[in-house]
Amino acid sequence: MDSLFGVSMTLIMYVLLGALAVSLSVVLYVVVRNRVMFLLGVRNMPRRVARTVLIVVGLMLSTLIISAAFTTGDTVDRSLTNTVFTLLGHVDEVVQLSGEEGGAPNEISSTIPQEANEKLRAAVEAAADSNIDGYLPMLFEQVPIINPESRLSEPSATFVGLDADSLEGFPDIISATTGEALDIGSLAADEAFLNKSAADALAAEPGDRVQVFVQLQPHEFTIVDIVEDRFTTGVGSFEVPEGLVTRLDTLQQIFERPGEVSIIAISNRGGVRDGVGLTDDVIDSFTSIIAAEGLTRDGGGIGLTVNDIKRELVEDAELAGNVMATFFLVFGLFSIAAGVLLIIMIFSMLAAERKSELGMARAIGTKRGHLVQMFLSEGMAYNVLSAMVGAGLGILVSFGMMLIMARIFSEFGLNIQPHVTLRSMVVSYSLGVVLTFATVTFASWRVSNLNIVRAIRDIPEPVGQRMGWRWLATGLAALALGGLLIDLGLNGDARYPFDIGLNGNTKFPFALGSSMMFIGTAIVLRFVGLPERAVFTTLSVALLTLWGFLAGDRLEFLFGELEGDVEMFFLSGIVMIAASTFVLVYNMDIVLPVISRFGGLFSGILPAVRTAVAYPMADRFRTGMTLAMISLVIFALTMMSTMNLNFNRLFLTDAARGGWDVIALENLNNPIVDLAAELEESGSSAPDSFRAVGRVSLGARSSVRQVEDDQTEFDSYPVFGVDAGFVDGGLVPLSTRARGYDSDEAVWQAMKTRDDVAVVDHFSTESGGFFGDESFHISGIDSEAEAFDPVMLEIGEPLSGATRQVEVIGVIELGASAAFFGIYVPQETFDLVYDEPLFTRHLVSLQDPDESKAVAREIESSLFTFGVQSESLKQLVEDEQQLFRNFFLLMQGFMGLGLFVGIAAVGVIAFRTVVERRQQIGMLRAIGYKRSTVALSFMLESSFVTLLAIGSGVGLAIWLSYFLITSDQFPTAEAGYVIPWLQIAVFSTFAFVASLLMTFIPARQAASVSIAEALRYE
Amino acid sequence: MTTVQPDTAATRSPDGDLIIDATEVVKTYDTGKVQVRALRGVTLPVRRGEMVAIMGPSGCGKTTLLNCLSGLDDIDSGSVLIDGVDLDTLGDARRTEFRARRMGFVFQLYNLLPVLSAVENVELPLLVSGVSARDARAKAESSLEQVHLIDWASHKPAELSGGQRQRVTIARALVNKPAIVWADEPTGDLDSTNAGEILDLMVDMNSRFAQTFVLVTHDPNIANRMHRIIYMTDGLIVDEKKVRDFD
Repeated sequence: MDSLFGVSMTLIMYVLLGALAVSLSVVLYVVVRNRVMFLLGVRNMPRRVARTVLIVVGLMLSTLIISAAFTTGDTVDRSLTNTVFTLLGHVDEVVQLSGEEGGAPNEISSTIPQEANEKLRAAVEAAADSNIDGYLPMLFEQVPIINPESRLSEPSATFVGLDADSLEGFPDIISATTGEALDIGSLAADEAFLNKSAADALAAEPGDRVQVFVQLQPHEFTIVDIVEDRFTTGVGSFEVPEGLVTRLDTLQQIFERPGEVSIIAISNRGGVRDGVGLTDDVIDSFTSIIAAEGLTRDGGGIGLTVNDIKRELVEDAELAGNVMATFFLVFGLFSIAAGVLLIIMIFSMLAAERKSELGMARAIGTKRGHLVQMFLSEGMAYNVLSAMVGAGLGILVSFGMMLIMARIFSEFGLNIQPHVTLRSMVVSYSLGVVLTFATVTFASWRVSNLNIVRAIRDIPEPVGQRMGWRWLATGLAALALGGLLIDLGLNGDARYPFDIGLNGNTKFPFALGSSMMFIGTAIVLRFVGLPERAVFTTLSVALLTLWGFLAGDRLEFLFGELEGDVEMFFLSGIVMIAASTFVLVYNMDIVLPVISRFGGLFSGILPAVRTAVAYPMADRFRTGMTLAMISLVIFALTMMSTMNLNFNRLFLTDAARGGWDVIALENLNNPIVDLAAELEESGSSAPDSFRAVGRVSLGARSSVRQVEDDQTEFDSYPVFGVDAGFVDGGLVPLSTRARGYDSDEAVWQAMKTRDDVAVVDHFSTESGGFFGDESFHISGIDSEAEAFDPVMLEIGEPLSGATRQVEVIGVIELGASAAFFGIYVPQETFDLVYDEPLFTRHLVSLQDPDESKAVAREIESSLFTFGVQSESLKQLVEDEQQLFRNFFLLMQGFMGLGLFVGIAAVGVIAFRTVVERRQQIGMLRAIGYKRSTVALSFMLESSFVTLLAIGSGVGLAIWLSYFLITSDQFPTAEAGYVIPWLQIAVFSTFAFVASLLMTFIPARQAASVSIAEALRYE
Repeated sequence: MTTVQPDTAATRSPDGDLIIDATEVVKTYDTGKVQVRALRGVTLPVRRGEMVAIMGPSGCGKTTLLNCLSGLDDIDSGSVLIDGVDLDTLGDARRTEFRARRMGFVFQLYNLLPVLSAVENVELPLLVSGVSARDARAKAESSLEQVHLIDWASHKPAELSGGQRQRVTIARALVNKPAIVWADEPTGDLDSTNAGEILDLMVDMNSRFAQTFVLVTHDPNIANRMHRIIYMTDGLIVDEKKVRDFD
C-alpha cells in the first residue's frame, strides 16, 4: 500500500520516524541528565513478572492492530498486483475502440476493422519506437463449450484468437504441464489450447475433442495442450476465467469476422513488471500515431484509443490495498482507544502502588518533573519492547485473516500472498511507540500530581472537592470551542478567516461541538458547587439522548439535515461510552446493591457478593476505565452485527428480487428473443412453471450524464432496456417516485407508455461513501423522500454518438438495488441509442418460487447450445450476501481483538488488588471468610464489572442502532428492526468467560494469602 | 534467662474451665536465609472470662503467640486447645468456621473494609456464619449501639475518627457473641483519651458478657486493667503478674 487517507505512506513514515526520534530523545535525555530517575523507573520492571507481562500485552495491542491493518493492506496490494502481472503477462497497453475502455475481454462487443489495424501496424513499424517490443491483434468471442469425454460443459467461455505472426514480445502462452512457451502458429484450424480454468471446469486433457457452439452450430476442436490462465488465453475477468485460444484467422473465419480484431495488445520493452515504467512514453507514441493516421474519432476515423490497462489495474490493486488498510484501521480505532485507556489505567495503578515511595521521594526534594521522568522511563522501556512484539504479532494476525479472506473470496480466484513491506513495519512500530509515548507522558504527568503528606501516609484523595480556577477555564474553553464547532457544523467556515473545507450541514463538527458544550457545562456547574453526581449523571443522560436523536436525524426540524459518514460511528461510540460510563460509576450505588440483595437470596455467597460489589463502587476511576474499555469494543461489535443484519435483511427479502425468481443470461453470439419459445422448441417443460418472463438488455458502452447538473462529460454507467414483460411480470420496489406518480405500479407502467422516462437504482442517488465516490451520481434526488421533482438524464453510446434524454421518475429501493443496479429505460428508448445489447438477461417469475434452483438448471441444460447461463436469483442474492456476511464476520473478529485490552485490564486490576488488599484479605480470613469465599469474591467482582460493561456496550449499540435503523433517513426504516442476539451472546460470553479466566489466578493467590502475614503486612 | 511458665494449676478455675490451653507451642519462621524461632515452647492456659494482657519488647513473639492461639497461624509443635478443640486437627475450612463462630478480633490498624459502611463491616462475621441478611443487620445495629456508634452506622471508615473506627472494630469483634476476643495493640494507634474509652468498653463487655479477652499491648496502663499480665522475651513467657482477682 502506498497511501493512507490520501497521504503518502513514505511521508507518513518520515513524520513518524521524526516523532519516534523525539520520543526516544526524551528518554535519552533522562538517561543522561537524571540517570537515577531512569534507573528508578526501569528497575520496577522485574519486580512483578506476571504483571509486567500483562502490561506488555496491554501496551502492544494498539501496535498489533495498526500493524495488522497495514499488513492486510500490503498483502491485498501485493496479491492483487501479482495477479495483475501474472494475468496480463507482457500486455502493457491495449488499443481499442473509444468507449470500450476498461471493459473486460468478455464485455467487448465491437471490433476494429482490418484496414484500421493494418494502417496502425504499418505506422507503428515505421515509427520503430524502441520502447515498443510487441504488437498483438486479438479477437475475443464468448462461446458455450462442452467436453463430450467428461460430459461437462461451460456456458460461457472466452475464445481468443491470436495473430500467430505477432507473438514476438508476448511469450505468454505457457504450457501448464511443461512450463514452456507454446507457438500458436503450430495449431491447425481445428486445434486450440485450453486454459487451466476451462480445463478444470470441463475436466479436459490434452487430446480431448471439445465442442464450441457458434450460432448454435457446434465446432470441434482438439485440445493440444492446457495453458496457464492469462489475458491472452481467455481470462475474461475474475468471474469468467474460462477460456481457450487458437489462431486469429481460425476464429475470424468461424465468426465470419474477416480481418477484424477486438483489441491490439502492446508490449513495452522490458519484462512483465518493469515494462510499466514506459507506459507514458508508449501511450504518447501511440496517441500521436493514431492521430497522425486519422484513426481518432475527432479526426474522422473509427475512434481508436490506447489504454494503460496494466498500470491502471496495478493502481487499482494499490488502491484496494490502501482501502483495505484504511478500513481495518478505522474499525480498529475502538480497540486502539481501549488500548490508550488501558495504558492510562496501568500507570495510574502503578502510581497508586508506589504512592508512599513517590511521596517520600517528593518529601526529600524530588521535583514533580522527576517523577514524570521516572514513569516515562519505565513506560518507554515497556513501550519499545511491546511495540516490537505488537508489530510482529500484527503480521501474524493479518496473515491469519488473509488466509480466511482467501477462502471467503476463493471464487474470484485470488491468490492471496502474505506480504509486508519494511515501510509498513516502520510506520506500525513508530506509530505504536509514539502513541504509547504520548499516552504515557499524559499518564505520568497525571500521576505525578500528588499531595506529599497524603501520599506518604497513603491517605485517600478527598472526594467531592470543588474544582479550581483552571477547571473553570477548561470548562469555558470547552463551551467556546463547542459553540464554534456547532456553528461550523451548521453554517460552514465561510464567515471565518480560515478555510477547512466545511460547507455547513456537517454532522461531525456539530455533534462534537454539542458534546463539548455538555462537557463544558458540567465543569462549570461543578465549579459553582453543584453536586458531582447530579451534574455528571444529568448531563451524561442528556448527551446519550442527544446522540440517539442525532443518529436518527430526528432533530432535523431543529438543525436541518446534517451529513455524516463512517467517522460518526467512531465519534458516537467514544462519546456515548464515556457518557454511559459516567452514569454508571456515579450511580452504581443504585445498580449494585440490587445485585447484592439478589445475592442475599443465597446466604452462602452473600459475604462474597457484599465485598465483590463494594469494591467496584468505591473505586470509580478504576471501575470506570475498565467499563469503558470493555464497553467500547462490545459496542463496536454489537453495532456492526446489528447494522449488518438489518441491512442484509433488506437485500434478502422477496421484494428485493422484484418478484423474479430465475435469471438467464444469454450469449451475445446466440441471442434469444423469446425464452419460453426457445425452451419449448428444445423440448423443455420449464415454461409450464413460468408465471411471467421479462427481458432486460444492457447497452454496450452505456454512459450517462445529468442534464440539469451541467455535466458535459458522460460517465460510464450501466443502462438497461426493459420490455413490457418485465414491467408487467414483476414489481421492483421503489423508495421514492417523481411527483405525479401515486404508486410504484404507476411508475413502471409509465415505462411502457412513455419513451422518455427512466428508473434508477438507489446507489446512483447517493454520493460520498467511506472512501469518496467518483462514479456517476445524480444530484437533486433524496432517495428517502416521499417524492421528488423529476430530474433529466441523457443516456449515450460514445461510439455511435447516439444520445437520448430521459426523465427520472423512480428510484429503486436499496434492498432491490443490488439485484437491479443501473438506469432502466423503456426498450424502445434503449433501441434508439444502443444498436445491440452487450448482453440480455431474461428474468423469470415462477408459480412456485421454491423451484427456482431446479428451473435454473433446467433452462441452462436445455439451452446449452445457446450458451445460456441461468441461476436462481434468490440463491444469487443469498450467495452475495453470504460473501459480505463472511467478510464482516472477519472484520468483527479483527475488532474483537480489542476485547483482549479489556480482558488484560481485568487481569491487571485483579493482580493489583490482591497486593493492595492483602491486609484486608487477612482480616476477612480472620473473621471467618473461607479461602473459597475470598476467591469467589474476586471472581464475582470481575464478573460484575465485565457484565456491567457488556450490558452498557450492548445497550448503547442497540439504542444507537435502533435510532438509525428505524430512521426515515435510512432505507431500513420500513423493514423493522432486529437484533442479532446470537452473535451478541457469542462475543459477550467470550468476553465474560475470558475475564473470569483472567481473574482465576489472582483469585487463587488471594485465597492462599497467609492470614498472619497479611495482617502484619503494610 | 529464666523461663517462667505460668502455673497451670494456679490459673485453672476450681472447675478447671480453661478456654485456652496452649502447651509447648513452637513456631519458627523460615525466611529463606535465616530461621527465626518466634515461639520456643510457650505454655499458656486462660480461663473462660479472663482478661489477659501479653507484654514484652518488640519482636518477642507477642503477636505470633496471639496468631497461633487464635488459629490464624499454624504452629510447628505443641498444642493449642480452644474450648477443648485442638485447632491443629482442623482443616482450613473448619478452622475458619470455628473462628467465625467462637472468636472476635481487634487489630491495631482497625482493619475495617474501607469500602463498606460501619454497619456493613460489623455484620460481615454474621454473614459468613450463615446468619440471614435481615438478622445480621439487626444484630450489627445492636452491636453498634453497644459501642455508642449507631448514629454513624452508614458512615464509611474514612469518615470516622480513629477512636470511632476502633469501636466499630470492637462492635464487629463482639457481634457474634464470641467466646474469645483477640486484640493486637487495640489502642496502639489512639490517643490516651480514646484508648481509655476503648479499654473501658472492653472491660465493660467482659463484665457483662464474661467474654475472654487476650490482648497484646505495650501500654502498662492497658495491661493493668486486665486480670493477668504475661511477659514475653525472645519467644518465651518469662514472667506473669496477677493484676486483679478473677473469679
